[in-house]
Amino acid sequence: MLLGIETAAGLVGVALADADGPLAGVWLRGDRRHAETLAPAVEHVLSQAGVTLADVDAVAVDVGPGLFTGLRVGVATAQGLAAGLGLGVVEVTSVDVLAQEVYDGGWEGPVAALVDARRQEVFAASYEGPGVQTGAPSRQSPEALASKLAGAPGTLLVGTGAHRYAPLFRGAGLRVAAIREPSPRVLVSIAAGRLAAGAAPVPPAAVRPVYLREADARINWVQR
Amino acid sequence: MNVLGIETSCDETAAAVVSDGRVVASSVVSSQIDLHARYGGVVPEIAGRAHVELLVPVIEEALARAGIEHPDAVAATYGPGLVGSLLVGLSAAKGLAMSWGVPFVGVNHLEGHLFAPVIEEPSLRWPLVVLLVSGGHTLLVHAAAPGRYRLLGQTLDDAAGEAFDKVARFLGLGYPGGPAIDRVAREGDPGVFAFPRALLGDGYDFSFSGLKTAVVRAVERRPEAATPDVAAAFQDAVVDVLTTKAARAVGAVGAKGLCLGGGVAANSLLRRRAPEAVDVPTYLPSMAMCTDNAAMIAAAGSFRLVQDGPSPLSLAPDPGLFLELER
Ligand SMILES: [Zn+2]
Repeated sequence: MLLGIETAAGLVGVALADADGPLAGVWLRGDRRHAETLAPAVEHVLSQAGVTLADVDAVAVDVGPGLFTGLRVGVATAQGLAAGLGLGVVEVTSVDVLAQEVYDGGWEGPVAALVDARRQEVFAASYEGPGVQTGAPSRQSPEALASKLAGAPGTLLVGTGAHRYAPLFRGAGLRVAAIREPSPRVLVSIAAGRLAAGAAPVPPAAVRPVYLREADARINWVQR
Repeated sequence: MNVLGIETSCDETAAAVVSDGRVVASSVVSSQIDLHARYGGVVPEIAGRAHVELLVPVIEEALARAGIEHPDAVAATYGPGLVGSLLVGLSAAKGLAMSWGVPFVGVNHLEGHLFAPVIEEPSLRWPLVVLLVSGGHTLLVHAAAPGRYRLLGQTLDDAAGEAFDKVARFLGLGYPGGPAIDRVAREGDPGVFAFPRALLGDGYDFSFSGLKTAVVRAVERRPEAATPDVAAAFQDAVVDVLTTKAARAVGAVGAKGLCLGGGVAANSLLRRRAPEAVDVPTYLPSMAMCTDNAAMIAAAGSFRLVQDGPSPLSLAPDPGLFLELER
């Protein structure tokens, strides 16, 4: 049994999967309430599925790129659960989850998965087929990305970053899929597939969010 | 009962195991001072990232040193502090509590500081006046008994430790400012400058931003002044205000003791002057118990668990949390 946690892009999502595929899940729009809603969501999904944490063999978590606060809630919760249970963690990126859902829907062409990075930027990764990423995820301006992708028409865009700048991308002749946030159900399927293929989970202490942006070095004198 | 405490409100990543509310079985603190030193203060985003990397090893070390597989409850700081740091410890604590099937309890960081003397002083007698001074807090509290607090005064602007950091930065003494000024001031003559003592005769509130400005002006007027003299005079002014108000509070509420807490309680002049200022016992925590640590969080969590029961798993971080005061 695999427990998946998704908090990278605005959703708070939890899903369970076993050998037969996804078993149960819940998601809600987080709106900065990740720290309040995630742990109760884990309890809810477990009880609805009629299982306990003792049945879980590994924890999967979306490590981003995404919004830093949500990411840290998801990663720290996954670390706590896995450390307490003596389990490993499967790290899955937000862009992999977004692209996979498009391919699960039957799309066969190239995909660009885009997570809104705020400050007029997106975190982006391109795929030429299911699970085939072309280059590591990076942070880009939507304008630069639009002009780059306009040279590769037929690319389907997906994710919160695609929706935020949809008019710009459509203006460049690109299509935007309906999917916005990474899905916990897809996340847990990807993780299950990787484990079945022999990938090893990492120890909880080794889990690292993918930030793709230097820390903002402003000192907060007020809040300490 | 063994309680695992977790503290990530600022720039210390800490975990500890406390037995029966006051016996420290282990206490591990991983300081991020080196990460923040080049900025001269705590950078919130850097702190949040470091907590994610350090927390699990720190917890594993605390459990190993205590010689236990898992505790009977998990306590974590939920405020006040930096929100991006608080939520790391809080989220991990919830995950651990769920995985072990034990209660989770959220702890007010300020109440944690008030439990430091409970751990270290078996002879502690209530009521107490607690002077809590650090980079984040400057509070004068009347503690009638554990859990029964009345705020007497607080800073109206900068925290005491913040004044040390800012003045140290201005004098080029590095970060953190408290130990730097303490060290340099030993060579200095505090009588060379007469810095203001804001609100000295006036209630229990504090103000340190005017003092910082006075230091800057004095050095601009006398650039040839020796840095140790400036540091000594500044430190003298801060300690004078802190001890004068604390002593007045002890008399006013009939306290049986004065407790110091927070990072500034490590200041050597304050530790020397505070006992001289009052005629009741003064409890000076060890250096490790002055600064942020998780043993005090586990001790306060043990108390809250008995007093109020577990916290809900929906407990949110509260960066502006204040001490729960009696009505
Ligand atoms: Zn503190």
